[in-house]
Amino acid sequence: MESTSTTALADLVRRAQKGEESAQRELIISYQHRIAGFVYAMTGRSDYVEDLAQQVFIKMVRAIDRLQAPAQFESWLFRLARNTCIDQLRRQKLRRIFLPFGEEHENIPEPPGAVDSEELDALRHALAQLRPQDRALLALVQEGRSHAEIAEILSTSVAAVKARLHRAREHLREHYQPEHEA
Amino acid sequence: MKPEPFAWRALNEHAAAQLHGGFADRALRAARGPETETWRAFFARGVRSLRPGFAERVLRAARVATDIPSLASHFALSAATAAVCLSAVLFLHQRNVDAADARNLDEWRALVQAAADPDAGAL
Repeated sequence: MESTSTTALADLVRRAQKGEESAQRELIISYQHRIAGFVYAMTGRSDYVEDLAQQVFIKMVRAIDRLQAPAQFESWLFRLARNTCIDQLRRQKLRRIFLPFGEEHENIPEPPGAVDSEELDALRHALAQLRPQDRALLALVQEGRSHAEIAEILSTSVAAVKARLHRAREHLREHYQPEHEA
Repeated sequence: MKPEPFAWRALNEHAAAQLHGGFADRALRAARGPETETWRAFFARGVRSLRPGFAERVLRAARVATDIPSLASHFALSAATAAVCLSAVLFLHQRNVDAADARNLDEWRALVQAAADPDAGAL
């Protein structure tokens, strides 16, 4: 069953690589929710999700013909998403250095009612305390990626992924206090 | 003075009163970290941020984006412009140097001629 879906995905990717718009559309629709969730975990800002997810998929459409192994499409797509989010966070950091007054506009809190519960708010707060690389790691695990896939996405070894994941989980637990704003 | 056990009990009661309701649950949650369900709800929050028609917007933007020059092409254009400007500057500089050389050579020839023919100078 798994291999059938993998083959179907590889076929879809090949069609998208040939420039078939219906295949590209199908890929976007299939992955938009997962990428949106990932982007939200990385940035903690719902108002960034649409824009960053759009950037990820535009990069996908423009670069998919250069993807050598269609079977590795998912890892490749999540690497694009991770790099796009990290670039955005870096740009934001630079902007804060050169435009210190922009900070108050960039750190607008989520609108009332945007955070559904104390747990979600606590998770968002805890993730915000981590390095973007660690956020990406935890989000990829929650997304269902295996250690080997994460190692491929991050261009590192499985052992390094396990060690970093252990540290990231520890840090997340340290900051995860559901009552922190209660 | 009240007996010691009473004081201990009062202290415990005071300490316990500092804890908000649902303390045990919160302590367990903090110790275990976020549950899978919390992560799921968190990702769902991100998903809800996408407006309907997302795929169409991406494809439309991707079509427009292909017409926008890339950073590499911007860089190539800048390098080509700089090369043309530098060539023009070098060309003009060389032309001025050549003209000055020719002028100086003519003057030098005139001087040499005047020196070789003292009568011409006397005239």
